[in-house]
Amino acid sequence: MIAAGALPNRRVEGWRWSDLSAALADRDVPMIPGDRHVLARIAIGARRMAGIVVNAGETRTEIERVGDDGVDTRALEIDVRDGASMSLVTIQQDGDVALAHRKVRLGQGAIFRQFIIADGARYARIETEIDVAGEGAKIELNGVYLVAKGRHADLTSQVTLNAEHAEVRQLVRGVARKGGRGVFQGRFKVERAAQKTDAKMEHNALLLEDGAEVFAKPELEIYADDVQCAHGNTAGQLDEAAIFYLRQRGLPEIEARAMITRAFLIEALPGWLDESVRTDVETHIDAWLGTAS
Amino acid sequence: MLELYNLHARVVPEDGPQREILKGLSLSVPAGEVHAIMGPNGSGKSTLSYVLTGRDGYQVTEGSVLYEGEDLLALAPEVRAAKGLFLSFQYPLEIAGVPVMTFVRAAMNAQRKQRGEPEVSAPDFLKLSRIAAQQLRIDPDMLKRPLNVGFSGGEKKRLEIYQMLMLQPRFMILDETDSGLDIDALKVVADGVNALRGEGRSMLVITHYQRLLDYIKPDRVHILSAGRIVKSGGPELAHELEKSGYDTVMGAP
Repeated sequence: MIAAGALPNRRVEGWRWSDLSAALADRDVPMIPGDRHVLARIAIGARRMAGIVVNAGETRTEIERVGDDGVDTRALEIDVRDGASMSLVTIQQDGDVALAHRKVRLGQGAIFRQFIIADGARYARIETEIDVAGEGAKIELNGVYLVAKGRHADLTSQVTLNAEHAEVRQLVRGVARKGGRGVFQGRFKVERAAQKTDAKMEHNALLLEDGAEVFAKPELEIYADDVQCAHGNTAGQLDEAAIFYLRQRGLPEIEARAMITRAFLIEALPGWLDESVRTDVETHIDAWLGTAS
Repeated sequence: MLELYNLHARVVPEDGPQREILKGLSLSVPAGEVHAIMGPNGSGKSTLSYVLTGRDGYQVTEGSVLYEGEDLLALAPEVRAAKGLFLSFQYPLEIAGVPVMTFVRAAMNAQRKQRGEPEVSAPDFLKLSRIAAQQLRIDPDMLKRPLNVGFSGGEKKRLEIYQMLMLQPRFMILDETDSGLDIDALKVVADGVNALRGEGRSMLVITHYQRLLDYIKPDRVHILSAGRIVKSGGPELAHELEKSGYDTVMGAP
């Protein structure tokens, strides 16, 4: 047992905008000993741990729902072996404290695709750590967060590249209303052995109301000299000129705003999503935007 | 149909000083007529179109605008649209992620809902769209692409008129619709506009040049200068302007 005070707080790099210690203050927090990530060692509330091995040449899809209970902690360890493919969809909607960590290892020519949609909770953090061990791996990381008042959603990821010819594509889009906080932390670490890496990271956020908060830290750490890496990061407001254009055509203001916001978010939905999942996600976005019909 | 009386308006930028742009503009456009507004740069042409359609950032300080006897300035932009007011934008906006047809159908249904009419059926909508696209020689594939994203200046203007044909407005403001169009595109667009001319429909055609007015023949021509109508006349006034310039026609010293 340790006190919540021993958990990372805002003075710790990587936890500045998502103070775990404060979120779990006044609780005893049992920890599993070991050197795994802190989110994988917390042992309170509903807790699920799983190890997934995708054998060479296999394809697997998992849909994970996080945040069903008051405090919900998840830890996944995923081993995607040579030539295997893993797709992971994570849906985080409710709960008080929702914590998820996934550690992914990719073999030669392995594919890992992830889509996260998070509404946030009083505190929600979904953290992805990926190690590329084999050549020619492909990674697609997509995410959407929608944070209303009193909600906090943190999508943090680190991709460590240790082998040549990897392709990484990351696109995260988020929206925040007054009193909501979105956090994006993305890091690509390209080791010397990872020549010919082709990696792109993009995060875009819309602050829908005054008093909304979005914090972003995109990082590229590159030790190889023959790579293509790029990142883009924007946070802004809806374009009022575009809103007026839609209203001039007859759309009420609330619908005009929703239409543009929806289109902004939908662009972050990956093409590989199963049709029924995609429909569910779109329906959820519409409901969140208040335009469900 | 549209009556402007002694309209004063200023632009209220978020930063920077307020400036009075319209300074006592009076104008009457009867039902079924096409009026042209010509004027030099900075005379208030675009401000007039934004004030009439209700864009934020413009404040009316004096005067009135009656649309079919109703106080237009009291209405939200979408309400004005549902009552038949349409602005063909000088610079149409790019709307990422929203296909043209999805957007137009949403707009059409939003207007119908405000008017208490039933939604357009899918087959009816497609039929209307096909006819409008043919008339304007628009490639149907273009209508599946996000609105105006990556379109040329001429394509955007064509799309404005496509929306106009689809929404069937009753009062149309064309803000420099001719800019960005080559002569062939201009004819196509003008034919589209002329298809909407008729009893009960009026237009305000805002332009720098007389050229557009060869194809969309106005009933009246007004010269706007420094925020007021300084001269009005028949179609011949536009020709006179083209020949002699604003200074001569307005009688500047």
